[in-house]
Amino acid sequence: MKVCLVTVGATASFVKLVRQVLSEPFLASLKQHNYTHLLVQYGKDGKPVMDEFLENNPEGSEALHGIGIGGFDFKPSMTPSIMMTVHNPAKNQEQGLMISHAGTGSILEGLRAGVTLVVVPNTDLADNHQEQLAIELDKTGHAVNSSVEDITSAVEKAESKRNEKPGTHGSQGETEVQVSGAMADQLATLD
Amino acid sequence: MASTLWLLWKLFWKLLGPITTIAILAVLIIIVSLTYSQNAPIPQVRRKNQPVHLLLVLGSGGHTTEMFSMLKNIPLDPTLYTYRTYVVSSGDNFSAEKAREFEADFLEKSNILSENYTIVTIPRARRVHQSYWTAPFSTIHCLWACFEVLLGRYPGQKRLPPRYLSPQPDLILTNGPAVGLCIVIAAKIIRFCEFVSRWMSGSSSRPAVSRLRTMFVESWARVSGLSTTGVLLLPLADVFLVQWRSLAGRQAWPGMKKTQYAGWAVLPSPGGKQRIKDVHE
Repeated sequence: MKVCLVTVGATASFVKLVRQVLSEPFLASLKQHNYTHLLVQYGKDGKPVMDEFLENNPEGSEALHGIGIGGFDFKPSMTPSIMMTVHNPAKNQEQGLMISHAGTGSILEGLRAGVTLVVVPNTDLADNHQEQLAIELDKTGHAVNSSVEDITSAVEKAESKRNEKPGTHGSQGETEVQVSGAMADQLATLD
Repeated sequence: MASTLWLLWKLFWKLLGPITTIAILAVLIIIVSLTYSQNAPIPQVRRKNQPVHLLLVLGSGGHTTEMFSMLKNIPLDPTLYTYRTYVVSSGDNFSAEKAREFEADFLEKSNILSENYTIVTIPRARRVHQSYWTAPFSTIHCLWACFEVLLGRYPGQKRLPPRYLSPQPDLILTNGPAVGLCIVIAAKIIRFCEFVSRWMSGSSSRPAVSRLRTMFVESWARVSGLSTTGVLLLPLADVFLVQWRSLAGRQAWPGMKKTQYAGWAVLPSPGGKQRIKDVHE
C-alpha cells in the first residue's frame, strides 16, 4: 500500500487544490510511482467537487488509473491519516506522500511523523509568511514547495528527493540558547 | 457664549504646557523602566526544590498546536514546573481540550500525581470581525482579567496549594496570541508597582525571589519578519526566542535585550534521539 494524503485545512477554502489532485495528469503520475490510494481532506467547499468526480468516475473507470480514492471534509485529528503515509512494514505500508496546504499545524504534524512532504501555499490568503516558510523548508530539504498548478511535477520532485537527508537547519547544536535552559535561567535558582 | 469659548480656549493653552510635560515625563519613565527592567540581573535567591508555578498562554489553533509541540519537544519537566496555569480565551474549546490532553497523556506518564494544573478562561481581547471602535474597551476588559489571573483572584480561579508562597506565577510562557501581550503588559505593570513600593519602603536592598518573568517564543512559521505581537513584545519580554537565524539579534532600541536563536523549538532536531517518539500511539 502506498498512500498519498492531501489536506486543505479546516478554515480556508482551497478548492483549486482539490480539483488539481483529482485531475488526469496527477492521477497518472501517482500511478507511475506505484501509489495505490489517494486520500483527500477536502474541507467544506471541496465536497461538491469530490462528489461530482466520484459520480463521473465510478470504481473501475479508466480515469482512476486503478487508484483507490477516498475523502472526508474534516477530522479533529489528522494523525491516523498522516500515519498511513509513513513507511511501516508491519502494516505493509510504503513511504507515501503528504500534500499539505502549508498550514503550520499540519506541516508540524507531518514532519514530526516523518512524512515525505509537499507544501502548497494557498496564494488566495493574505498572509504571505506561509509562502516564505514553504520556500525555506524547500531550501532545507524538509519539504517540496509547489504551486497548485505544478503539483504533478512536485510529486516527481518529492519522489527523487526522498532519499536525501534534510539539512541540519535548526539542529540544537548550532543554536544560541535552548528553550529549557532559557526558562530555567529565569527562575534564578541558587546552586 | 463667545466669552465661554474664549475662556475655554485660554484654559486649554494654560493646561497645554503641564499636559505636554506630564506626557513627556510618562514616556521617559516608561522607556527608562523598560530598559532597566530588561537589563537588571535576576537576584539568585530561589532555593532548590522550591515549587515553581508556570503560566502558559494559549490561543487559536496554530499557536496552541505550536505551544504543545514545543512543550513535548523540550520536554517540559513537571518535577521542575510543579504547577501549571493555562490561560485560554473564551470560546476556544480547542486550546482547553489540548491542554487537558497534554496534561493527561504527556505529563501523566512521568508518574507525577496530576491535578497540578488549572485552566482559566478569560474574555477575548478582540473577537474575530469585531469593530475596531469597540475593540479598545474589550481589550481593557481583557487586560483587567489578566491582572486578576496573575494575582490569583480571577472569579472561579482554583487556589494554589499552600506551599506556593505567592499566587503569582514564577514564569510566563507565550508564543503569539494577542492575550499573551495583555498578560505580559499586566505582569510588567505589577512588577513595576512592586518595585516602586519596595523602593519607597526602603526594602529594595534585600533581594526577593523574582516572579512574573516573561518569555516569548516567536512562531516557527515566522521566517523573515517578526509577527505584530512579537514586535510589540520586543521591549517587554525578558526572553525573546526566535526559531530562524535571520530573526536573531533584533532589539526594541539600542541597549535593549536582543532576540536569541533557539533552533526549531517545535520539532525534534534532525536525527535527534527524540525523533518520532510520541507519534506512534
